[in-house]
Amino acid sequence: MKRLAIRTSLHGRLMATTAIALGLFLAAAGWIWERLFTTNVLASAEEQMLIVAYSLVDATRQHADPAAFHAPLVARTRPRDPAPGSLILLPDELGEPRLSRPNSGLYAYIESADGSLAWRSPSMAITAVAAASTRRPPPGDSRFEALVADNAAPRFLLGYTVILEEIEDAELTFWVLSDQAPFTAEIHDFRKSLAIGVTAATLLLVVLQLAALRWGLRPLRRMAHRVGALQAGKRGDIGEDYPAELAPLAHTMNRFVEHELENRERYRRAMGDLAHSLKTPLAVLKNALVDPGRPDRAVFDDQIDRMEATINRQLSRATAIPPVLPHEPVPVTPVLERLCRALDKAYAAKEVDVEIQASQARVRADERDVMDVLGNLLENAYKYSHSKVRVATRQELSRAARASDPGSTAPNGAEQTSPRGTPSGPGQVVRIVVEDDGDGIPEAAKQYVFERGARADTAHAGHGIGLASAVELATAYGGTVELADSDLGGARVILKLPA
Amino acid sequence: MRVLLVEDEMLLRAQVDKYLRDAGFIVDMASNGEKGLYFGLEFDYDVAVIDLGLPKMDGIDLISELRKQDRAFPILILTARRDWQDKVAGLEAGADDYLTKPFHLEELKARLDALIRRAAGYASPVVEKGPLRLDLGAKEARMHGDALELTAFEYRVLEYLVMNPARVVSKTELTEHLYEQDFDRDSNVIEVFIGRLRRKIDPAGTLKPIRTIRGAGYRFSL
Repeated sequence: MKRLAIRTSLHGRLMATTAIALGLFLAAAGWIWERLFTTNVLASAEEQMLIVAYSLVDATRQHADPAAFHAPLVARTRPRDPAPGSLILLPDELGEPRLSRPNSGLYAYIESADGSLAWRSPSMAITAVAAASTRRPPPGDSRFEALVADNAAPRFLLGYTVILEEIEDAELTFWVLSDQAPFTAEIHDFRKSLAIGVTAATLLLVVLQLAALRWGLRPLRRMAHRVGALQAGKRGDIGEDYPAELAPLAHTMNRFVEHELENRERYRRAMGDLAHSLKTPLAVLKNALVDPGRPDRAVFDDQIDRMEATINRQLSRATAIPPVLPHEPVPVTPVLERLCRALDKAYAAKEVDVEIQASQARVRADERDVMDVLGNLLENAYKYSHSKVRVATRQELSRAARASDPGSTAPNGAEQTSPRGTPSGPGQVVRIVVEDDGDGIPEAAKQYVFERGARADTAHAGHGIGLASAVELATAYGGTVELADSDLGGARVILKLPA
Repeated sequence: MRVLLVEDEMLLRAQVDKYLRDAGFIVDMASNGEKGLYFGLEFDYDVAVIDLGLPKMDGIDLISELRKQDRAFPILILTARRDWQDKVAGLEAGADDYLTKPFHLEELKARLDALIRRAAGYASPVVEKGPLRLDLGAKEARMHGDALELTAFEYRVLEYLVMNPARVVSKTELTEHLYEQDFDRDSNVIEVFIGRLRRKIDPAGTLKPIRTIRGAGYRFSL
């Protein structure tokens, strides 16, 4: 369960990965600090001991008596000398007091080239110091090492060999020994504080991380909360107050929700209208059937046409679903050409002369819907024309866009003909004009098309049904349909769809 | 005239069948695309009515297949009004006209007549061949302006010959296009009808509009 929670929650994922990264980083940093510190402590131990060795060298230079050094062993002995047998006599008070204090932890002795002990520090008086078993360093050099002996405390050993001109070029090695305890104690102390520091830093960072995550993920939480409210019907949207990464998602989601509500409303309205407007013709038909005389075919035809018109119109309204997200623009001219080729075939006997003024205009709508709108308009033109149909398309600024920005494109929009199609976008509309040389659209059909509730009468149903369908579809996309008279003599339908 | 009707709605199919039969057509019915294709490839039709939404084989595929196999008879498609995509696809596949549902049977028949006429190369429903004038809508034949007293079957024989002018039409073809499938195909019956028709059109025997091509059939020329 726990693993699942880590994997399924963003919070868990981020927390787990950052915790692991943080842990590894701090462990590595701690280890490096500890190494550096230890090396540093050892180096400083070596340096301190080297200074002691140097001071002994200096003292030897000042106080050593070459005569005494070469005199017989007994003659060189002084009564107060703590180390009988010393070849070199050094003052009791040396620069480093610990050398004079017995068992102080710092010891030194001088070894002559033949291996005999030339001097030893008073601190060695009661402390057994293992003689250096290691090789003496060559003259001018020093050697530093840690000694671990079974019977003594662990110590550091520093040897420094020098040739002293003052005592007749005697080669002496100055050995300095120091207990490790003070240094290791320092290292232990450091480790302890390091551990405390690292742990504290880890805790602090984890807390900060938690806070950052909570803060960073708050918009997501807010969104989830609002989606919940949306599902419960307590909200109509999820708001727009989100950071840049989430804003597009929220916006799209709001559009979908809005779209869904609109669709539902349109469906409900269309279905209500449909049910309502089918009731009358159905009742008329029912009554006509119980009529004792022969059923009057005209009555049936009329009512059935009426029902067909109603169904068509309401279905167009219900299914004309405007896009939630902008459609890929559909080039209009190829659709027109395809439709005209098909209609030419179906109306072959009529030999309609069709003129299409091609353009690069593209509309933002589903290709199927574009085809339905234009198909309905062109079919009417073919059907009701005497012999001539004319179609023109062009892209222009919408009336609203022109009103708000009068300085831009010329109002009569000279045809834009960029080779890769005209730019589409807000404010741009494609104006498609379909004209014929027929008798024009009867007043009754116009009424049916534009006045909701006006009934289609049989004689003009054909003209009106296709047109009404086109109007519903165009309106769903935010387009318009206008009717006028053509200079060809017949109807002129001006369709505008968003580019 | 022999028509192939491919429609999956039984009730509509039966209505169309009855109406066209009453109007003198020979009707072969298919309830799905596969059967439609079988009939279309097996028999020669004067026209076909194909619904676009068919089970087993889509109407558009059926039309494409028929055209691919060189079946040239005119095809009328039945569609829903809003489906322009389908209408255009059907016409592009090789159909010649469309009719949106719901439709009047009279309208269907008028469209079929027009398609048959167009296929024969006549633009108007009134065909004039010399002194012969055939009104395809009213199913009426006139010679020098005088109405000919033809039986329904005689008229159909004449119409078929006029619709296939300057081409030899065999007796078998006539039987197939004018008789139900299970009719006893006695070629003598055709000969009898042709004989009567000749006497009615050309009593004097001077024009000889229907020539017998020995061993092949008949050819109409005026």
